[in-house]
Amino acid sequence: MAITKVVMPKLSEAMETGKIIKWLKKEGDRVQGGDILAEIETDKADVEMEAFGAGVLRKILVSAGEKAPVGTLIGVIAEPAEDIAAALASAPAPAVAAGAGAASSARKDTRPEAAPVPPTAPAPGQPLRPAVVSTPAPAVPAVSAGAVGIPAPALTASTAVATGRVKASPLAKKIAAQTGVDLRLIRGSGRIIRRDVEAATPATVTVATAPVTVAAAPVTAPIVPGVEYEDRPLSQIRAAIARRMPLSKAPVPHFYVTSEVAMDRAWELREELNALEGQPKISVNDFVVRACALALLKHPGVNASFQGESIRVWHRAHIGIAVALEDGLITPVLRDSHAKSLAQIAVEARDLAERARARKLRATELSGATFSISNLGMYDVTEFSAIINPPEGAILAVGSVRRVAVVDDAGLGVGRRMALTLSCDHRVMDGAMGARFLQDVKRLLEEPLRLLV
Amino acid sequence: MATRNVDVAVVGTGPGGYVAAIRCAQLGLSVAAVEDDRPGGVCLNWGCIPTKALLRNAEVVNLFERAAEFGIRLAGFEANYAEAIQRSRRVADRMSKGVEFLFRKNKITLVPGRGVLKSRDTVEVAGTGGNETIQAKAVILATGSEPKSLPGVPIDEKTVMSSNGAVRSERSPKSIVVIGAGAVGVEFADVYAAYGAQVTILEALPRLVPIEDEEVSKELARAFRRRSIEMKTGVKVASVTPGGPGVIVETDAGKVEAEQALMAVGRGAKVTGLGLEALSVRLDRGFVRVSPRMETSVPGVYAIGDMVGPPLLAHKAMAEGVVAAEAIAGRSPRPLDYGNVPACTYCRPQIASVGLTEAKAREAGREVSIGKFPFTANGKAVALGDTEGFVKVVADKASGEILGVHIVGPEATEIIHEFAVGRTLEATLEEIIHTIHAHPTLSEAALEATLGALGQAIHI
Repeated sequence: MAITKVVMPKLSEAMETGKIIKWLKKEGDRVQGGDILAEIETDKADVEMEAFGAGVLRKILVSAGEKAPVGTLIGVIAEPAEDIAAALASAPAPAVAAGAGAASSARKDTRPEAAPVPPTAPAPGQPLRPAVVSTPAPAVPAVSAGAVGIPAPALTASTAVATGRVKASPLAKKIAAQTGVDLRLIRGSGRIIRRDVEAATPATVTVATAPVTVAAAPVTAPIVPGVEYEDRPLSQIRAAIARRMPLSKAPVPHFYVTSEVAMDRAWELREELNALEGQPKISVNDFVVRACALALLKHPGVNASFQGESIRVWHRAHIGIAVALEDGLITPVLRDSHAKSLAQIAVEARDLAERARARKLRATELSGATFSISNLGMYDVTEFSAIINPPEGAILAVGSVRRVAVVDDAGLGVGRRMALTLSCDHRVMDGAMGARFLQDVKRLLEEPLRLLV
Repeated sequence: MATRNVDVAVVGTGPGGYVAAIRCAQLGLSVAAVEDDRPGGVCLNWGCIPTKALLRNAEVVNLFERAAEFGIRLAGFEANYAEAIQRSRRVADRMSKGVEFLFRKNKITLVPGRGVLKSRDTVEVAGTGGNETIQAKAVILATGSEPKSLPGVPIDEKTVMSSNGAVRSERSPKSIVVIGAGAVGVEFADVYAAYGAQVTILEALPRLVPIEDEEVSKELARAFRRRSIEMKTGVKVASVTPGGPGVIVETDAGKVEAEQALMAVGRGAKVTGLGLEALSVRLDRGFVRVSPRMETSVPGVYAIGDMVGPPLLAHKAMAEGVVAAEAIAGRSPRPLDYGNVPACTYCRPQIASVGLTEAKAREAGREVSIGKFPFTANGKAVALGDTEGFVKVVADKASGEILGVHIVGPEATEIIHEFAVGRTLEATLEEIIHTIHAHPTLSEAALEATLGALGQAIHI
């Protein structure tokens, strides 16, 4: 049995140190690969750290509340009989950990190819895990929640491996740059070559349809004459989105169902509700969340995840609500939405969104969604389609409520209409299933009193 | 009948077979190698190596002819063709002995005789010193290929020769018709012309070395024309009959008479009489069909080299031999990249290429950028007095991928490898241009052609 060194994981490009919030296992506890060892606080989010090796957590070197540089040995997993002296010897004394560890992590950052890379791709939905992890490379431990907060278990080791320099052929790098493929997403058989990039280049690997902030980052063209472009470094969140989205779009066979909803009555009801004193302000999106939550209970087939060998049907509706940030988006989760009133949804969704913008979300609020909603209504978007956040089975893209000419029994009039586009994972559901769900969401919104009872 | 038990039986010891045998031995397997001719196969004995010796003679003859250019006055010289052949035999013998030495060194048993596959693990050898049976856990077939002729044209190796006869014949004809302008045809045309023969090359396709880039064919034709080698391309040979000075070749564009004719219309796999039919080893258009691990349709029976299909090149066979050996030893060998096998022709000027021709790249829908650099602008070539030809780089316009490189000129066959290595590493034009090339070298032409593909050539 190998001795497994537990090191401070590198959870984002810029992460240099992490703080142990708490250890969920104590010295002497037996752990399995995949067990959550500790919670770690980074600059961006709190994340759970998984164990890679099985054995006994023999030693904790950095205790709760302490910080450690990326790559620092923070614990050792081994069988009780094994001699872990050698492994411990490589650990800097806690007092000097910061300096020594930082130096070593800087060095290692330039050579992440030393990190063990899983030899084969895992089954969809199954976290990637190196077979044996005994190198204290910064990239090793996986995170159970994605750094961006897109709640998906699929991206663990590959995210981790995605840090630092990528070993790729010059041609692979060039083609990747031209096609917009993130090399850090690709697992080659060692060095990434052209074939690996081409295999990872579906027609659409862009994140164009994901809601991103339009207003942010003023586009000021450089004034230097003759400069045609500038290369802006990826922000942490942008890098994470770039990593994550192709992992959805490429392997998940998306199909889309669009429906138009008459929002006149919902609009009136919302104005009435918002006129009530002492009541929280309710947004159109809150209506949509409530409608989806109710419809998901009725259509559990849409509230489902593809598991490779099976489909996991969720009995609770945890709805991820995409929130645009200046440099990307984040999807906090409104847990048990189905059990919450419209007012409750309004209050909690607002709180989540505000804390998302302030980067004050907990890891638990960033993971575990069973369905997501992305609303670009505030940007005067007629309709759009969104990319599913695996392992969720569907995501609803919400357009603006527009005043349009409508023909009804009374003749030509003005009505409020809103387009909903459901992106569905075809491995989980078929068109009719998605359409029936969407029909119910539409009915709930068109008869909005149903949302109040 | 004696029975020998080994891990691997290799049938044929050409470049594919002997390399496979040595690699097997290196991997700890016991090996018996069956050979009915001389160790080293056609390549070392009757092909690549002796012809390179003859071509070197042709080059020396040519240099003597050009002595005055270098300020060297000769009172005349005699180039004896028989002695050239004899020299080539000594060279071949030495290489063949080298294979025997390598076999001894690697404890490979050489079994002289003709091997026939009796079952997937049994090879029967009808040897000169009696028959024996080899029981092997795996068999590698490497029997190679032999010259083809045109329908109805028997090869007597006297007036109508194949390369097999030509490489042995000490007679230097006054005139010869070379039928086929592939590598074998143009190489012999070069040799015979250097020794004073009136050479006529006939080629059914529209140009010399038809698988090479079109511009290379043109450059070679220009060089041959200067040396008064006659060339008729796009002509079909109707018949080859005895008559006139020796042989009369009728074509759809008139007849050609000469002392001898050399058939160089290609080679066919040696797949008969090996027991393949009885074992139902699958063939594909005359070649043995193999997996990327070089295994035939019969598990445990591997095949490599010319018998498994084009390109019929010794170095391809060697690489396949290594793959087969490693597969047998339980390794997971990297399959050959058949798109990255360099092809070399040793006529003067030499020809070397790797990857796609410009035409093929365009056919494949690639938007290409072309860089071409003539040896007339290369200092080393000028100093050598050897300025025929050019380096041509075909690259993908968008990515800079090196799609193909075509070199015709001095030491082309040595220059090509930087591009072969580059392609293996997936280098783009940029990595080549950022590699400092020593000055003065012929390889600078490779750098300049690469720069040319980026529109940055300095010396032209």
